[in-house]
Amino acid sequence: MKIKAKIANRQLAFILFMMRTTVTIALLPVLTTADAAQDAWLAAIATFIGSALMLIAISALGVRYPDQTLVQYGAKLVSSWPAKVISLVILSALLVIAATDVRIYGEMLITGFLVQTPLVFITAGMVFAAAVAAWQGIEVIARVAGALFPVFLLMLTLSLTMVLPLVELKNLQPVLARGLMPVIKGSITPTAIAAQMLVLTILIPALEKPRRATGTALWALLGSSLVLVLITIVTVGILGSDQANRSIFPFYVMVRSIEVTEFIQRIEALPVFAWGFGLFVGIATALYCLAQGLAQVLGLSDYRPLVFPLATIQTVFSVQAYKDVFELLSFFKPNIIAPYVLTWFVLSLVPLWVAHTIRQLFVQKGED
Amino acid sequence: MVISDRQARLNTELSHNLDANINIITELYGNSADLTIHPFKAGPDQIPGAVIVLEGLVREDSIKAIQRVILVDSLKLGLEAPKPQEFYQLLKERLLPNYDLTELDNFDQLCENLSAGHKILLLTGVAKALDCGVEGYQTRAIEEPTAETVIRGPREGFIENIRTNTAMIRRRLKTPNLWIESYTIGDLTRTEINLAYVKGLTNEKLVAEVRSRLQRIDIDGILESGYIEEFIEDDPFTVFPQMIRTERPDLITAGLLEGRIAVFTEGTPFVLLAPINLWELLQAPDDYYERATIAMFIRNLRIFAYWSSILLPGVYVAIVNFHHEFLPTELALRIAATREGVPFPVLVEVLIMELAFEMLREAGIRLPQAIGSAISIVGALILGEAAIRAGLASPAVIIIVAMTAIASFTVPAFDLGISGRLLLFVFLVLGGTIGLFGIQLGLLLLLIHLCSLRSFGTPYFVPMGPLVVADWGDVFIRTWWWKMLRRPRLVGSQELERQPPGQRPRPKSRDEDGDYENKS
Repeated sequence: MKIKAKIANRQLAFILFMMRTTVTIALLPVLTTADAAQDAWLAAIATFIGSALMLIAISALGVRYPDQTLVQYGAKLVSSWPAKVISLVILSALLVIAATDVRIYGEMLITGFLVQTPLVFITAGMVFAAAVAAWQGIEVIARVAGALFPVFLLMLTLSLTMVLPLVELKNLQPVLARGLMPVIKGSITPTAIAAQMLVLTILIPALEKPRRATGTALWALLGSSLVLVLITIVTVGILGSDQANRSIFPFYVMVRSIEVTEFIQRIEALPVFAWGFGLFVGIATALYCLAQGLAQVLGLSDYRPLVFPLATIQTVFSVQAYKDVFELLSFFKPNIIAPYVLTWFVLSLVPLWVAHTIRQLFVQKGED
Repeated sequence: MVISDRQARLNTELSHNLDANINIITELYGNSADLTIHPFKAGPDQIPGAVIVLEGLVREDSIKAIQRVILVDSLKLGLEAPKPQEFYQLLKERLLPNYDLTELDNFDQLCENLSAGHKILLLTGVAKALDCGVEGYQTRAIEEPTAETVIRGPREGFIENIRTNTAMIRRRLKTPNLWIESYTIGDLTRTEINLAYVKGLTNEKLVAEVRSRLQRIDIDGILESGYIEEFIEDDPFTVFPQMIRTERPDLITAGLLEGRIAVFTEGTPFVLLAPINLWELLQAPDDYYERATIAMFIRNLRIFAYWSSILLPGVYVAIVNFHHEFLPTELALRIAATREGVPFPVLVEVLIMELAFEMLREAGIRLPQAIGSAISIVGALILGEAAIRAGLASPAVIIIVAMTAIASFTVPAFDLGISGRLLLFVFLVLGGTIGLFGIQLGLLLLLIHLCSLRSFGTPYFVPMGPLVVADWGDVFIRTWWWKMLRRPRLVGSQELERQPPGQRPRPKSRDEDGDYENKS
């Protein structure tokens, strides 16, 4: 089955930007609670380098097969059954990341806003909206992402500019007091989360210019990394690395401290809304890729019947996978998440790259 | 015989026998009271014939004029005893050519024209009928459309006569490239539908699509353009109108100039314009006539008003129910104080008041104008005041409901305004049950819906989704006319250039000789 829908590369950039930025807002504590402390913003820059490498590993292979998804070109590279296993590994990665994303959002809402609402209500609601979008197709997701993008940017800009006067640069000093190691350690987790860009393995053939996918994705990554660096500087600058360390959602705590005038205070709804919008775009895309990929693995002609069952699985997973917010946060400790993501990569992309390289050599030899 | 069989019988040819033809017609019309047959015997040979009309549709003196031509003028030609066939040719070519003549040979066409007010001439020995045209009929005068008033702009509106309506467009668009195609839809009503577009500007695929959608319609009657709209729109299961319907010729002309198509329907002043997007429904014709800066402000005000008419009550209920902390302390205390003693939960309170308002609005439309104002006094003043006095509703809720109502009335397109009033209830329930999260969820679902809608193949939510920043120039701002260099990207793609650049007016500056010179 071929993907008939087409989206502009620009639209893919919107999707990836919102996806990455949202995770940034959500995972800020991971950056700051890691050893990097006041150098968290340096860790953010390191994250960009790490995730850019990861992105290239994911998309450079796909770009060589511009009109096929990983499921399809995988079958060409390593024959049918191994390719199916590899595809399932990637799809499971998408499922785990998307479900975890929703869980973080739900935890944040429950601690901050809807204290009495059951968690499953929030995750189910969000996943339902994403499923509706995924059912409508990638074109609609891309359009929604485009429509939300200006709103998303505006909300982030507003909440960042309003706290700017409160930043104390003293909090950011001393720079690199303990050398580079803590910085690199701090960047491991957010880099690992960049595995959500595995959606590209399915999305590249849906692009108008699939050969430029890597460039597009890199721009989106650069943009979101810039936002990440800014947010880290502002948050640590206001809260200081100590307090940023102690809070579970430091960005939220920071925005909460805004009080421009008597009337404009408590505007934490802005970033929370932005977070919700970004999360929606991220999980809708993930859900679409999951359903599309699974349909191709199973040889179905339409991915739509799979969307709602997968959404149900995702909801259950998001609620059942972690006991509470602390278990959730411990999942993001570098020594847990790094092996996790590494396993996904070793089991999926590494064999494909090896097969691709061998094939390339073999074909060239055959021609000579 | 049931109606479909009777309709099928129409499909017979005329015969040479005059009496047989007349009999068939009287039988078809069942000797209706208004069917009038004026028999005559013309020429030296006394050739029998008849003029058939439906009384009331034709002026008395025009029948007399035809009779005089047949009976008197034919003798002046001085021909000796022409045969019926020759006499028929004579009538057609020399005697009646200043009438709008058509030859008919079957009863289907004959009856349709007869019912439309044409005068039909039958002659013995000729298997054809001569249609002597139609004259104007009584219509409403051209007036200003009361539902779409403007501060500045033309004051004429469409009427029920389709020819007058297309003429109004012709007069505004004096190019032969304005093409008007005609269709007859409705087995029984035989309503004329016209499809207008500017050839060369409108996408041919769009025209072909509309054409095929119009031709697909098979219905017994069309009474209003609403019938057509429901048959040809993209998504019937949505609250959002996918076509503009308007009584204003200037709006239709502006649409045609941008490469859209217009559908005229006989018997209604409402003309359809497609394809459109959501934001165009939020534009009023004034926007393009008033000063650009003012129009820009008003337009954004309207967009804001539309979205707040959807969201305001829901957000209010969500905040009062779940998120007091968002309000400054004093405001929160104030609202809590006014809610003192109100026996309902805030959701129910707002729901009741909104429903009451909806009923008032509907009652106001249906009642004659004189009583309509009485209703608004009873509703707005007495009911609201009494509800607060009795402690059944809090003043804050009344303010919210009133503000929502005002906001929704700023929307120029009535059908879009109503869509907002419907969505309001959805957001009310969402906000009242899951707070701001519910509002966000609702917004996302609404956005998905809007982004998946299409109006004749063009995305409905453009230029927001898909994001086309270049087209924002005609949505959130209204650029000056000399800067509107391009037509909207998605409909006017045949020829994007609208006008050459560099037409910005500048003051003349005085040069050394003291002459004014154009600085450029």
